[in-house]
Amino acid sequence: MKTFALTLLFAGSAVPFGPPPTPKPVTLLNVSYDPTRELYEDFNQQFAAYWKNRTGQAVTIRQSHGGSGKQARSVIDGLEADVVTLALAYDIDQIADKGGLLPANWQTRLPNNSSPYTSTIVLLVRKGNPKNIRDWGDLAKPGVTVVTPNPKTSGGARWNYLAAWAWALRQPGGSDATAKDFVTKLYKNVPVLDAGARGATTTFVERGIGDVLIAWENEALLAIKELGPGKFEVVAPSLSILAEPPVAVVDKIANKHGTREVAQAYLEYLYTDAGQEIAAKHFYRPRNAAIAAKYQSQFPSVKLVTVDEAFGGWKKAHAAHFADGGTFDQIYQPGS
Amino acid sequence: MIEVKLRSVAFLVLVAVSGAPQLLAQQNGLVSTVVQRDSVPNASDTVAALAARLAELDQQVRILTRLHEISADSAAAAAKDKQSVTASAKDGFSFKSADGKYLLRLRGYVQGDGRFFANDVAVPTTDNMLLRRVRPILEGAVGRYFGFRLMPDFGGTSPAIFDAYFDGNFTPAFTVRAGKFKPPLGLERLQSAQDIMFAERGLPNNLVPSRDIGLQIAGDISDGLFAYQAGVFNGVADLANGGDDLSDAKDFAGRVFIQPFKSGSFRPLGVGIAGSTGLERASITTSGLPSYRTPGQNTLFKYGSSTTTPANNVFADGRRIRIAPQGYFYTGPFGLLGEYTISRNTVNKAGAVAELEHKAWQAEGSFFLTGEKNSFKSPTIKKPFDLAEGSRGFGAIELVARYGELELDPASFPTYASLTTSVQKAKAVGVGVNWHFTRAVKVMVDYERTTFTGGATTGDRESENAVITRFQTSF
Repeated sequence: MKTFALTLLFAGSAVPFGPPPTPKPVTLLNVSYDPTRELYEDFNQQFAAYWKNRTGQAVTIRQSHGGSGKQARSVIDGLEADVVTLALAYDIDQIADKGGLLPANWQTRLPNNSSPYTSTIVLLVRKGNPKNIRDWGDLAKPGVTVVTPNPKTSGGARWNYLAAWAWALRQPGGSDATAKDFVTKLYKNVPVLDAGARGATTTFVERGIGDVLIAWENEALLAIKELGPGKFEVVAPSLSILAEPPVAVVDKIANKHGTREVAQAYLEYLYTDAGQEIAAKHFYRPRNAAIAAKYQSQFPSVKLVTVDEAFGGWKKAHAAHFADGGTFDQIYQPGS
Repeated sequence: MIEVKLRSVAFLVLVAVSGAPQLLAQQNGLVSTVVQRDSVPNASDTVAALAARLAELDQQVRILTRLHEISADSAAAAAKDKQSVTASAKDGFSFKSADGKYLLRLRGYVQGDGRFFANDVAVPTTDNMLLRRVRPILEGAVGRYFGFRLMPDFGGTSPAIFDAYFDGNFTPAFTVRAGKFKPPLGLERLQSAQDIMFAERGLPNNLVPSRDIGLQIAGDISDGLFAYQAGVFNGVADLANGGDDLSDAKDFAGRVFIQPFKSGSFRPLGVGIAGSTGLERASITTSGLPSYRTPGQNTLFKYGSSTTTPANNVFADGRRIRIAPQGYFYTGPFGLLGEYTISRNTVNKAGAVAELEHKAWQAEGSFFLTGEKNSFKSPTIKKPFDLAEGSRGFGAIELVARYGELELDPASFPTYASLTTSVQKAKAVGVGVNWHFTRAVKVMVDYERTTFTGGATTGDRESENAVITRFQTSF
């Protein structure tokens, strides 16, 4: 035991004296879906300042963007995301189920089912609405060219698809058969399937393809803001879907990187007034009622249904529509 | 470029199928009068039709161009996803499939030791330089859930297989391992030979096996809060690198380990207990019994055997039980590891059966003078050794110290122990310094003094004063 005491002695003698050391800088990787680039560029700057002020620690946040489903697969296959901020819960479920990187109950760990903001799906048309597109039904008409991304790779595309299906179901005489027929006609009008929502926006806005873009509301409003109201118009359909993009800490990766605490704080900051303001400024609908009221005028009024109401949840929706051999595979053949 | 070509093609198509006569008319004065006369009634309709056709073709060109862009993007992304070949000090050399499910990794380490003994007058011991371990490691993943590891050792007197096992990693809470590997017993034994504080493990390591062949289930619950291992093994002697079993009965071994606290992603305190039980039925020709070693790797205890009267050879003949409470604590640059081990063996000498209980314990600590974070594994070095201007670094310096004891059951003497080579009790105190140049290169210098009491009929054995040096390289 004398030796043990000596061990402690030499250990103690080597402890440096002075002020507490500055925390080591840390880096987070946020793997997100396609249209959130601008949101998180802004948010990351503000969070880094907040975190530095609170803890003294410098934090750098790297971003990765792409189709939500594709991003989830990248994380499962080894992309070391400390946090994921994806388009739909199903994609994070996949990271939990197939990757085992976070617990199955991840959605209960933050308020509002871990969705700090919401959005919906709208139609973006060219100025003057030359094809007179007013609602989903117009998208299936002959001669209308529709731009939407690939539901196999894009979370936004899955929201688009389900919003159209939900609308068709609620038409007089609506059934799964009529909805399938409607969506089949709609996708016959789609000449290009981009991998993600941002790519589809590029196709419609920059490449000048198509008469209508089915888009995230935030993406459509951003396009108008960036390019000016003289070029595009938002058409709010009679019914759309409540999109709840979720966020989660990827436990195993954050633990491995030693970034768990800052990763958790990063996501919690999305729920603060500051975080909600940033979301609203980037055209995401905030959860905070007061801030939502403040920005109410920028969002069109749309009747919304949820995935749970219309499809019994994401797992059922995925199995029926987007899994291999599902409805989408039946109605859309590449090149046809 | 592609876009320009496509637009040119579209223009030619337009001319050919839609409006060639009219366009030619506009460009050729000789025929303009005739064409105008025929077209006047439908001029506005024709212009509108042409505009629509032009718009349609323009869309077609744009779509083809965009499809080409998407195709190029997809090809670029696919190229990035191709199989990868990587090399690093941490993970060795690896080949990995695009989806990460198939992996072949080559790693390895070499330890070159010097052992020098001071004041070895009564028991002269040869100073020696040797290759302690030369271990290439081949690891792999076969699909999402399965993996393997193969690790021979070419150090020492003859090559031997140390690890050869297959893993099923179904969930963090449930994994299965089959083959030859470390049974879940001694804490320092479960630490990789690349990561241990001293060049040689301490005295309690004598009382647990090195490797055994068997089947184990294991899991890690609540992110490391609770870990368990349980398995069935052939059952081998203490310190042995197991092979074939000597009898039908098998050993059962298990361990639970709790890390109750969490600091960030790190769990600083771990405590646990391990144990094994099994029946051993050996013989006078194959004793199934161990011999024990000093930190300087000299024999300090051996069971009796005789080439002239083999009937008097001592052999394992009954139940063997091991119990090993253990724990560690790491905070900042400081680390402490402690364990206590009991090995109870039933032995037989010419029909005289005895149950002998041997006990050992140790506490060892280390401290990184250079501030690295201490843990059960080798540290991440803050400033790896580098002479280059701008990235100059010295590596990490670690001071280590330990104390341990091993007590052999007094009933071992005089009947069952070899009286020429055995002691009844050993106490070892050691200090050392480790210089981690980089993650891949480490130099160790230890001094360990071991004192002995009892055992041999000639009196207490002379103390062992061992200086052990090691140069280790790993990848």
